[in-house]
This record gives sequence, C-alpha cells and structure tokens, in this order.
Amino acid sequence: MKDTANIGKSVIIKGELTGSEDLTVEGQVEGKIELRQNMLTIGPNGKVKAQIVAKVVVVEGDVHGDITATERVDIRDKGSVDGDLSSPRVAIADGAHFRGTIDMQRGNKPAEAKPDAKGAAAIPAAPAPVATSTH
Amino acid sequence: MTALFRWGSRPGVQPETAGPADVSPPETVAASKVLPKFLLTLARQASPVLLDLGPVVGSNVALFGERLACKLLVQDLYQEVERGLDDDVLTVALLKRLPDEPRSVDGIACWDVFDYLEPPVSRALARRLARVLKAGGVLHGFFATAPSETRSYTRFIVEADDAIRHRTYPARPNRRRVWTPREVDRMFEGLEMTDNVLLKANCRETLFRKA
Repeated sequence: MKDTANIGKSVIIKGELTGSEDLTVEGQVEGKIELRQNMLTIGPNGKVKAQIVAKVVVVEGDVHGDITATERVDIRDKGSVDGDLSSPRVAIADGAHFRGTIDMQRGNKPAEAKPDAKGAAAIPAAPAPVATSTH
Repeated sequence: MTALFRWGSRPGVQPETAGPADVSPPETVAASKVLPKFLLTLARQASPVLLDLGPVVGSNVALFGERLACKLLVQDLYQEVERGLDDDVLTVALLKRLPDEPRSVDGIACWDVFDYLEPPVSRALARRLARVLKAGGVLHGFFATAPSETRSYTRFIVEADDAIRHRTYPARPNRRRVWTPREVDRMFEGLEMTDNVLLKANCRETLFRKA
C-alpha cells in the first residue's frame, strides 16, 4: 500500500513543497507544489495558492494557481479552481467551479514549475514533503 | 411515472440555488446538424484553441479533449450577465474575460448568450469574437426564435457529436430577446453564416465561418 503524506487542517505552509509520495492537503499552502511521480489531493478543507505539478491532481477544496498533471486532473463537485490546467485528461464534476484555460493538447511535455518572482530554482525531489513554515 | 409528466421541473437535478418557482422548459436532447461541422472543422486543426463562453460542463470538457485534444478557454459570460450590470459596465466586464489577440482562436462556442444581451453589448461582443477568430475558424451559437421571460439559463451539454442536451439552471429573472437572422448576420460582420437550423426548442442553431 502506497504511503500518503498529509498536511492537516491547521497547518499553513508558505514555500516550495516537493516529494516522491502521494500527498493530501487539508491545510493551506502558498507557493509551489511538485510531485512529478505522484498524486496530489486537495481535500475539502484545503486551500492552495500555488503552482502545482504532479502526476495526478484531485481537487476537492480551493486552488488558485496553475495545475500541470502528466496523467489527469479531477475537480470534484465541491472543488474550485481558478487557474490554468494542463493535462491530457481533465474531469470536472457537476457543481465544481472552474475558471481558466484547459490545455489538453497532446504532446505537451509537463511544464517545469514556473520560477517565482525571485527566480528560485526547483528543489530536487526529497523523500518527504518539507514544510518551510508552519503555524 | 408521474415525473415524466411533470412539466417545468428537472427530475433528478437539484437546483444550485434556491429561489422562486422556476417555470423552465423541460430538459430536451436536440439532434444537431451544425455541431458535427463545428467539431469537424476543429478536428482538422493540429492543437486547436476553442473558446467556450458558457459555464464549465465536465462532459463537454471530456468530449472536446477526447475528440480535439484542444486548448479550451472557459469563460462563463453568463456569470457577468447574472450580475445585472448596466450595459456599459457589462460590455467592459465581458470583453475583459476574452482574449484580445487577433486570429488566436480556432473555434468559439457562444451557446445562447447573445439572447440575454442588449444590442450595444452584443455588437461589442460579436466584434471581439470575430476579431479573435482565425481565418477558417468557426463560431457556433443558438438564437431564440420567440421572446420569453425566464428565471433560468440553459446549459448545453454535448451528448454526442450530433446531439446536444438543453438543461436549464436557475438564474435571476431575465428576458430572452429575439434576433432576426438579418440582425445576427449584420452583428457578426466579417463572418459568413454557413448554417442556420430551426430547432423545436424555440431557437435556431447557427454556424459562422471566417474566410
């Protein structure tokens, strides 16, 4: 059974998150999330303001930011995304909110996570998510 | 069985917002002779760009992705119409939602949004859409053939390449106007009306093409 890391409801992270296992976010994340070989789930309480790159992204909470998924993006009925999606498969349930662009053009390579305003480079994958600040 | 004979309701569909009784037309599936041409034109393009002016419909996204492998810009203009803005403000709000780069879009699905716009707003919107459409691009729309006072908009769900489900959803009280074919033709100056099909659902399904 695959391990899944969890960011709880009370946790707030500002910065870059990278990892090589599945991750569920129920707290708040601002910055960048990169799980190139894994699944990211934004839970019903999750609030993410970040650029996201993952294999599969499931949204049940709020996301403000662009999402790139090499396999699929799934926005559930209570999910909300304001941003651009790039993925070969996109599923949006009735009741979900979405505003932005959906790029399903085949042959697109997964985008590198966009550099932030300060031009920070992506951090190499780490075995577990690294929180840079918590409250 | 009684649900089959209950007009004005949407069996099995919960309204997104509670409100006064909605005397909406029943859900229908209409065969389309226009949609296949719209999809075929887009399918001929490598990586087409499709602008959808309606609310996001998950099954439409899935179908467009599967059929066209397109880049889909979803901009729900009905959200702006729902705000009840003055025409000047509404025009600015609508245009702000749209791309501005000329000849950047291969296809536009404007559904029936023009039925809810006053002439000055419609003309401004049509001008922008004609401008952003590429040469050879296509615009697909619906225009009412009978005026009505409603409390709903219609969600157009592509069921198959040649069939569209018309499903209503609650909205503030609004008036659906009627555009004559001549008015529509003049509004989309620069585009050629290639198909204009009368439907039983009191509307016309129209396809425009940019030379």
